Amino acid sequence: MRRNPLALVLTLVIATLVCVGSNSVFAADEYDYDLVHSSVGFKARHLGISWIHGRFNDVSGKFSIDREQPSKSTFKLTIKADSVDTANKARDEHLRQPDYFDTKQFPTIEFKSTSTKAIKGGYEVTGDFTMHGTTKKVTIVLTGGKEHDFKGTKRVAFSTELALKRSDYGFDKRAIGPSAIGDKALIFIDCEGVRK
Amino acid sequence: MPDPWLYLKAMVSAASVSALCVLALVTARRKAVSSWQNSACVGGIGLGLAVGYCMLSLQPCWPPTNALDRLLTIVLPVALGIELIAGFPCVPAWCAWFLRIGLAATMPRILLHGSVYLTGADNDWPSWRANTAMAVCATLLMSVWALLARLIRRSPGVSVSFSLCLTIQCAGLTVMMAGYIKGGAAALPIVAALMATTFATTMITKCRVVTNDCVQAIPGIGAVGLFGLLFIGHFFGRLSTGTALTILLAPLACWVTEVPLFRHRNPWLLGLLRLVLVAIPLAVVLGLAKRDFDRDMGPLLRTDTRPPVMIAIVAE
Repeated sequence: MRRNPLALVLTLVIATLVCVGSNSVFAADEYDYDLVHSSVGFKARHLGISWIHGRFNDVSGKFSIDREQPSKSTFKLTIKADSVDTANKARDEHLRQPDYFDTKQFPTIEFKSTSTKAIKGGYEVTGDFTMHGTTKKVTIVLTGGKEHDFKGTKRVAFSTELALKRSDYGFDKRAIGPSAIGDKALIFIDCEGVRK
Repeated sequence: MPDPWLYLKAMVSAASVSALCVLALVTARRKAVSSWQNSACVGGIGLGLAVGYCMLSLQPCWPPTNALDRLLTIVLPVALGIELIAGFPCVPAWCAWFLRIGLAATMPRILLHGSVYLTGADNDWPSWRANTAMAVCATLLMSVWALLARLIRRSPGVSVSFSLCLTIQCAGLTVMMAGYIKGGAAALPIVAALMATTFATTMITKCRVVTNDCVQAIPGIGAVGLFGLLFIGHFFGRLSTGTALTILLAPLACWVTEVPLFRHRNPWLLGLLRLVLVAIPLAVVLGLAKRDFDRDMGPLLRTDTRPPVMIAIVAE
């Protein structure tokens, strides 16, 4: 049987295109942090008797979610420390000073994932958390991750909580304690990512 | 929160160590040598600062992460080193001033290192603006340093050193009231060490016939310390430009006593006049800082957390 060389070339081209296409189907989905529908909040003990609540208003980030190979997923979040908001202007100004966040020296608080593991209901993400010029490895559990299509915009949402000690991040020890603001701070992240 | 008892302990420790070090080193040598006295002064100030900062838990850390760390770890030790070298008779005056100008020129850059002013993270601070600010600040520091050194050489006495200490104390309080408590507290060991060294040097000068060259180190270290605190308070805290400039230039009011009208008056009267002239702008600055503190920070510290209007209604 004679083989048609044109048919052979066409078969090769189609096979290549299918391969490329299938690769793009399995590539990670890139999402941008949606500032409008997300929030990064925190609370810290005051005088050991109550909690002060606050939030950061200027946050950006990117998630890359690979549903076939979750370990290839990446998460990055950048918080502008200057955008701290505790519903009290004077206190916010004080928190921006070098005794607390020192926002002129350390303008951002960052999380960058280094490894991701799929777990039931979300992901377990380990990464570098940098605050006040100190970087520490932390592991967070992101719950959520289901994609939702709303008017052609694909959205994915995650929630997590993170507990940390301010003393681990070089905050002034004299500004920590039962007579001031407590050492332990809880951070709550509820974020949506969008992709067109 | 500020801890007055800790501040007092830090000041007393710094002052005691400085004074004892100066007295011990100077009396260790029978023959009065100017360069030895200068070394004793610089050593006394350095040791006093180390003890004072240790008491305040402001120990040097390497690499320094913030501006205050860089002031304590790099700038002040370099200033002490320059004043130590400048005291040796073999070092010509031009060489000492070359080193001082070098420190003054690089100090703003060192203190701003890694901050939003230099990294471009703040859109309000393009590189030309940051470079201009650093050049102006360096010029200001050099001018204040040179004028104080010239004045103390022209009419020696404790009044210039005391005026400088008064100014540094005021700078510390103002920085604290602007909300940067740790930065303001850093002024205290400088004040204590300089005051104690001035007292000790004066005692020695009265007991032994020596030149007063050793006090040259005091305006140098004092000017660098004062400038550093104000610079950090302004660029990293909330100290306004006007306040920082007023405090920095306040010690130069001592020059008023050099006009012919006062020049040949009683030295005690001149000393008192210098202190009063310096104290006037400082008192105004402190008054305004207290007013701003009460307005901005007062509500955060008030025990009665009801808004003022509510308090008035309840009182009626």
